[in-house]
Amino acid sequence: MVRLEDVGMVRLNPKGEEVAILAGISFSARPGEITAIVGPSGGGKSTLVRFVNRLDEPTSGRIWLDWEDVSALDPLQLRRRVGMVLQKPFMFEGTVLANLQRPFLYRNAPPPGAGSGEVLGVLELARLSPELLERDARTLSLGQQQRVSLARALITGPQVLLLDEPTSALDRPTSDRLAATLQEICRSQRLTVILVTHDLRLAERVADYLLYLEGGQILEEGKTEDLLIRPKTAELVRFLAEPEE
Amino acid sequence: MAAEKVVTLELVDLALAYGLILIAVGLARMERIGQEKQMLWASARMVLQLIAVGYLLHLVFAIRSPLPVLLMLLVMAGFSLQVMGARVRHRMPDFYRVVGISMFIGCGGVTFFLCSLVISYTPWYDPRYLIPLAGMIIGNSMNGASLAAERLSAEIRERREEIETALCLGATSRQASEMAVRTAFRAALIPTMNTMAATGIVSLPGMMTGQILSGTEPIVAVRYQIAIMCAITGAVAITSFLILLQGYRHYFTVAHQLKESAWKG
Repeated sequence: MVRLEDVGMVRLNPKGEEVAILAGISFSARPGEITAIVGPSGGGKSTLVRFVNRLDEPTSGRIWLDWEDVSALDPLQLRRRVGMVLQKPFMFEGTVLANLQRPFLYRNAPPPGAGSGEVLGVLELARLSPELLERDARTLSLGQQQRVSLARALITGPQVLLLDEPTSALDRPTSDRLAATLQEICRSQRLTVILVTHDLRLAERVADYLLYLEGGQILEEGKTEDLLIRPKTAELVRFLAEPEE
Repeated sequence: MAAEKVVTLELVDLALAYGLILIAVGLARMERIGQEKQMLWASARMVLQLIAVGYLLHLVFAIRSPLPVLLMLLVMAGFSLQVMGARVRHRMPDFYRVVGISMFIGCGGVTFFLCSLVISYTPWYDPRYLIPLAGMIIGNSMNGASLAAERLSAEIRERREEIETALCLGATSRQASEMAVRTAFRAALIPTMNTMAATGIVSLPGMMTGQILSGTEPIVAVRYQIAIMCAITGAVAITSFLILLQGYRHYFTVAHQLKESAWKG
């Protein structure tokens, strides 16, 4: 469970004045559910999700992971409990197996082998064939690379998974298949998933709960079907009518 | 064999040599490259600066006290730091402190090692040895150091995705910037490696040429050259390493977060 409490972010503009990028953000994301943050680009969605694993720090408010304040947690420990998949899959030099072993190297733990339960387990979750393990990760298709980054984020056994526009680099059919996989993982592992996307179709397909973020504020939130069928604000109505590609 | 006395160049001889610059200016004018004035200005600066430094060295040599020698080295180091600051386009945060400390330890340490343990002359501050040796070490380290600093900043910017992916997987900032640091270190060492490989075949190094001209036995000059090449390589490596070791930290917060200023602007 992740809970944000009145989270805000203020930056200085070139004139040296304070500008609120995000203000008064409060919501909870529950285990076994996908909470999607949707809205137009530049609305602060990606910035918001980066606070949860402390890639960035908010200037106000608190974020709770279960009953712990994340700002009091060691960021390295926190990032093992909160996995993240970024927009463009980045593959480290070497094989798929070497990529999956990375998180273990970072904490000086012995890396699991190709036949280990950890490796086979995440491959199955991410719907990747074990035959790919010895392939050079950078030669895989974008869709496969994104699945490898998903498997790599899952291998430390996180309780939360953050997804920042995970399908934006993928074509529609690949994106749909990945969405189905995400949904399965979220349910089977009872993961708390926070998905950031400007792709309404993806949100509609996978999200249980939806937050509409525009201009740094949550303008609407609710169950996905309620929000999409009965939008209350003019902004969401407009966004639904003219979604960004 | 006793050192032969070197032929002294009279003003007439220098005027004759300067004629070659006039030929260069003439050619530039003929080709209309529009650089004649700059060439004349640059040559005038060269002459004035060298005369000034000649008298300064004459003075420092005459005083034979450590203070003016150290002062001169300090000024040289200060100038090289300033030249670097102007040359490096994307300066790392806290640039002058990071580079200043690294150059002090790298160049100072290697100069001390070369002068007191390898050549071991007395007194330790003898300007005939200390100034040219330290000068060469500082000059070369400056090149390596600016390459290291420039490359690190560029690598961190270009590798933002790699670095943030690593951070997301629980890497420390040191681990996440490993490849950026490694590439920058390699870039800093390449010119020195190339010079070492080409020395003696493609070009005769300036110091060796100077020593030979002033009557030193070529075999002795070569030994000095070998020692100084080793010292330069060591100084470049130590200075760049220290810059990178301190430098990468400035791109991250203590919570292993890549600062926005590292990849923006």
